[in-house]
Amino acid sequence: MKLWRWPLALAALTVFGLLCALLGQGGIWWLLSWIALALPLIVICYYLCRRVQTSIR
Amino acid sequence: MQPDSESTISGTESSVAKRISAARKWALVHKWSSLVCTAFLLVICVTGLPLLFSDQIDEWLEPHAYEVLPAGTPAASLDRLTAAGRKMYPGQIVTSIGIDDDEPQIYVWMARSWAALKADPKSEHFIRFDARTAKVLEESKPAAQSHLGFIDVMLSLHRDLFVDLPGELFLGLMALLFVIATMSGIVLYGPFMRRLDFGTVRKDRSRRLKWLDIHNLLGVATLAWVLVVGTTGLMNELSTPLFGIWQLTDVRALLARWQGQPPPSPEQLGSVQSALATVRQQLPGKIVTSIIFPGSEDGSPRHYLLWAKGNSPLTARLFNPVLVDGVSGDYVGVVKMPWYLRALEVSRPLHFGDYGGLPLKILWALLDLVTIGVLGTGLYLWLSRRRSPIERQLMELENRPPAVAGAEIRTAE
Repeated sequence: MKLWRWPLALAALTVFGLLCALLGQGGIWWLLSWIALALPLIVICYYLCRRVQTSIR
Repeated sequence: MQPDSESTISGTESSVAKRISAARKWALVHKWSSLVCTAFLLVICVTGLPLLFSDQIDEWLEPHAYEVLPAGTPAASLDRLTAAGRKMYPGQIVTSIGIDDDEPQIYVWMARSWAALKADPKSEHFIRFDARTAKVLEESKPAAQSHLGFIDVMLSLHRDLFVDLPGELFLGLMALLFVIATMSGIVLYGPFMRRLDFGTVRKDRSRRLKWLDIHNLLGVATLAWVLVVGTTGLMNELSTPLFGIWQLTDVRALLARWQGQPPPSPEQLGSVQSALATVRQQLPGKIVTSIIFPGSEDGSPRHYLLWAKGNSPLTARLFNPVLVDGVSGDYVGVVKMPWYLRALEVSRPLHFGDYGGLPLKILWALLDLVTIGVLGTGLYLWLSRRRSPIERQLMELENRPPAVAGAEIRTAE
């Protein structure tokens, strides 16, 4: 369902990021974990900032 | 099965009514679970921020300096440290030893007697030694007399509100309500966002709608992290009773033979250094982080209890209790841990965020700030609630033609 596509993708990404650093042995796994957990934050920033842009226009 | 048009309409109406009635129930769950826990959760989220960086803050507030010695300098014998402790505090007993696996320091904990410690658990104090030179680095006062440091205050606000077990259980209940609030919030996301694109923020309509959209966006984007940190926090609040159950069942059965016997006197006690050496030899690759002396409530009346952990990222979280006879020094073996304590141990890093370097801690802090945002916007939404009942709000959502939904308005601008 379209409504849940983004929330589910972000949740899956978060779980992947949480487990990556826990089960992997440092190095690349830490990096993957940082990227995966940063993405939900970036998505939030994108949608919040978009609001600012439209209000300027 | 193609229903005729009339039954389609009535079918839709009844399904709308059903959906609204279900959403109304979930809205009630969301409202009350949130209302009860929000104030406490705000405290927990705010105090969690400094706790995330407690290592760095401690290092900054009270830097630990160590003599520079050639790498591979052997560690001093633990027997030498306990003898030094007993000399400094004549008549006192050693209760446990903490071995730092990060810095070259060893904590020797002491008390007047086991009975005195039982009567006043805060009468325990420690001497901190350099692990290599056996020089005294620090002497603490008993916890009851020493003032609480900044991190201690944060931890207490975060974990037990200064009242130990009752506080832990109370905040555990708040954590449970928070998890329920999150899950009911996820259910409500459906009806509220049904006609909107992901991430829509309707800044052009009422202020309340704008904050509702932000609440939904922040909440839904971080829901997995919030559920993980919430449930692991709940588990951590249950750690005292869980360890208690284990002590009363498995551990008691294992130690039944020695129960009620007086612990060996300091003169009878076998060498603690050789107990450590025995465990290191029996369990190669395991790191001993603490040694509980015979007689402790947290250990055995007869044995040294050594807590040993693995050295991989995951096994470093799994502590195994190992018993060594306190008089003869014989190796007894590893005590099996029940599944619920294993689950608790694995849940800890997932709550603390301390397993992926500083960047992971920073991400943890940012996600924590987002959670504060969800709590704050939620509180605002409740304070600015409309007098119209939730049914009408949901009805409006159902009846609003697609053209007024946020996505279309946004693109029309």
